[in-house]
Amino acid sequence: MSEESKIPGHYFVLSLLKNIFSRTLRASNNVPRHVGFIMDGNRRWARKNDIEVKDGHEAGFHSMSRILELCYEAGVDTATVFAFSIENFKRSKYEVDSLMDLAQRRIKQITENGELTDKYGIRVRVIGDISLLDKDVLLDIQHATERTKNNTRATLNICFPYTGREEVVHSMKDVITENYSPSEINEDLIDSHLYTGGLPPLDLLIRTSGVSRLSDFMIWQGSKKGVRIELLDCLWPEFGPLRMGWILLKFAFRKSYSNSKEVIDEDYEEEEEEEESVDKKKYI
Amino acid sequence: MTMTEAQAIDTKYLNGNTKMIVENDTDEKITNLTTSTGSNFHIPPPAASRMKGGSANTKRRTVHAISNSIFVDNRNINATPKIIQDNNNNNKNAASSSSSNTFWKNENTNYFKFTFYKIVLAVLFFMFGIFRYCQLQYNKSKLKILDLLYNPSNTPQLIRQDVVKLNKIPSRLAAILEVKPIGDVGGGLKGILNDASELVCWTISAGVKHLSLYDYDGVLQKNTDELRNAIYEHLSIYYGPANVPNFAIRIPHFNKILYNTKVKGDIKSKVAIEVSLLSNRDGRETIVDLTRTMAELCSNKELNVNDITVDLVDTELKQLVGQEPDLLLYFGPSLDLQGYPPWHIRLTEFFWEEDNNQVTYSVFIRGLKQYAGCKVNVGK
Repeated sequence: MSEESKIPGHYFVLSLLKNIFSRTLRASNNVPRHVGFIMDGNRRWARKNDIEVKDGHEAGFHSMSRILELCYEAGVDTATVFAFSIENFKRSKYEVDSLMDLAQRRIKQITENGELTDKYGIRVRVIGDISLLDKDVLLDIQHATERTKNNTRATLNICFPYTGREEVVHSMKDVITENYSPSEINEDLIDSHLYTGGLPPLDLLIRTSGVSRLSDFMIWQGSKKGVRIELLDCLWPEFGPLRMGWILLKFAFRKSYSNSKEVIDEDYEEEEEEEESVDKKKYI
Repeated sequence: MTMTEAQAIDTKYLNGNTKMIVENDTDEKITNLTTSTGSNFHIPPPAASRMKGGSANTKRRTVHAISNSIFVDNRNINATPKIIQDNNNNNKNAASSSSSNTFWKNENTNYFKFTFYKIVLAVLFFMFGIFRYCQLQYNKSKLKILDLLYNPSNTPQLIRQDVVKLNKIPSRLAAILEVKPIGDVGGGLKGILNDASELVCWTISAGVKHLSLYDYDGVLQKNTDELRNAIYEHLSIYYGPANVPNFAIRIPHFNKILYNTKVKGDIKSKVAIEVSLLSNRDGRETIVDLTRTMAELCSNKELNVNDITVDLVDTELKQLVGQEPDLLLYFGPSLDLQGYPPWHIRLTEFFWEEDNNQVTYSVFIRGLKQYAGCKVNVGK
């Protein structure tokens, strides 16, 4: 967007505004701590604009990095992106290969150039059933995760290749092999053995392209009570920082509203109780 | 009728009902549902906490809360530890406040900068608040118009006409219901029973054979007899008392099936609808139970860990909870799955109306319409 404009200083003003906005949100103390993204619609976008599917995925990647930048700046602790589903192996071999290739290059780029990761101190993790990947892809991934593993301020989970059901089963298996006694097995234990174990709980889940399904993404975490699910009509490459900012603002507003409402309701209840007790005393 | 009157009536009703529940518990088979409820001591039902409050008489509170969320952000930081003490499970606040506090320390922010952001935030929230108010009013009037447009007026034929136009209907439908505060419209136990039975009527009329009703606390599961009566009454309004369709109520968690009349037998063969009642217990807890059982089997060497696959877990959970629904209707203001069984929402389509708070036919039919227009492509 900003590259197209010819007004001098345009880019500077935009980034300044973005900065102020994200810091303001951060000051609200109510930004989501863990955001999940289902990046849907790259191919439809490519078809719509008459370009190759591969370029659609590229555009999707750019939009992802812009959005993540805003998120981390606003104080989001963890972002989880759905890059590749286990079901995606059903696609044509050519596309699967190009997706693999893209992911491999991008993971390298994110970590080696270190623009995003170093600036925000992001630890990159690749989660999912990585045993399904080719050897050289796996090697690159290991390399990348090694490089950023000491960053502690934020986390980026790349789900590659992933399905929610596989994650749950994986966690069950882990729990079983670690030989806990049956009485020790509970929800939190399964929770902590998920790929996202140890990270803050999911607060916000965003899906683009107007589809109202989870498509097997974070089903365990996303079905919890209180997780906000936003379904958007735009395709992923069209989903820019502006819309993301809007969603974050909405989230912060609702959260701080419900927080202060809770406190107030409690106050009122106490008041009412006091009144009641006063009434009782009168009767006595 | 004023709000307070309505509240008083509902309170009366609810009090009557809770008594009924307790009585039921002592003399009938439902005793095993609520294990700790005895006749000697009264434990309020889990939903009781949610029935408090409500939108009646809370205008003052709402205004107070909004103004607080706009202006009193400083207080928010200081007040969060207090909230944590109040409810321990709400540890989100704890972490968020500590993390952002460290952020402000790290950045060595001076007071001026901090105040500046707070002021900008207040302005942003203020503007958003105004926008939100307009949006709320717009959505509400939209819903009212939709309610007028789609009106089933208790006749299955009209619903049938609406559905015939659709090129596909879901074979399994699910709905998330909520127990509302007694002061609200359609609140209390009576409200949720009414909503549930209305939904059953629409579903039968639409020709869908399976319906799962989910409510977080399992209020429906605990009041099966009342639910059965309520459904029967509603169906006799829709179809006439002489030809009430047969229905079966299934509670997977207790492995229990109820039919519309108390006598089992010939009706068993042909039911028009099967209603499953689900609660939070059927979600994650059931997966945990399954893990426990599998762990035991593994330690007895009756099962190999490597044999545990997605397919195996899938068949087990299908048996324990039921099939995955095609369409999930949510009758709340913004999508929140409320702990619906996670395994069963893999490819389920969701439908809800923004800022809607009522179980209405217009949401139901619009959900079916959306489903008819959707296209599922697994992975492709």
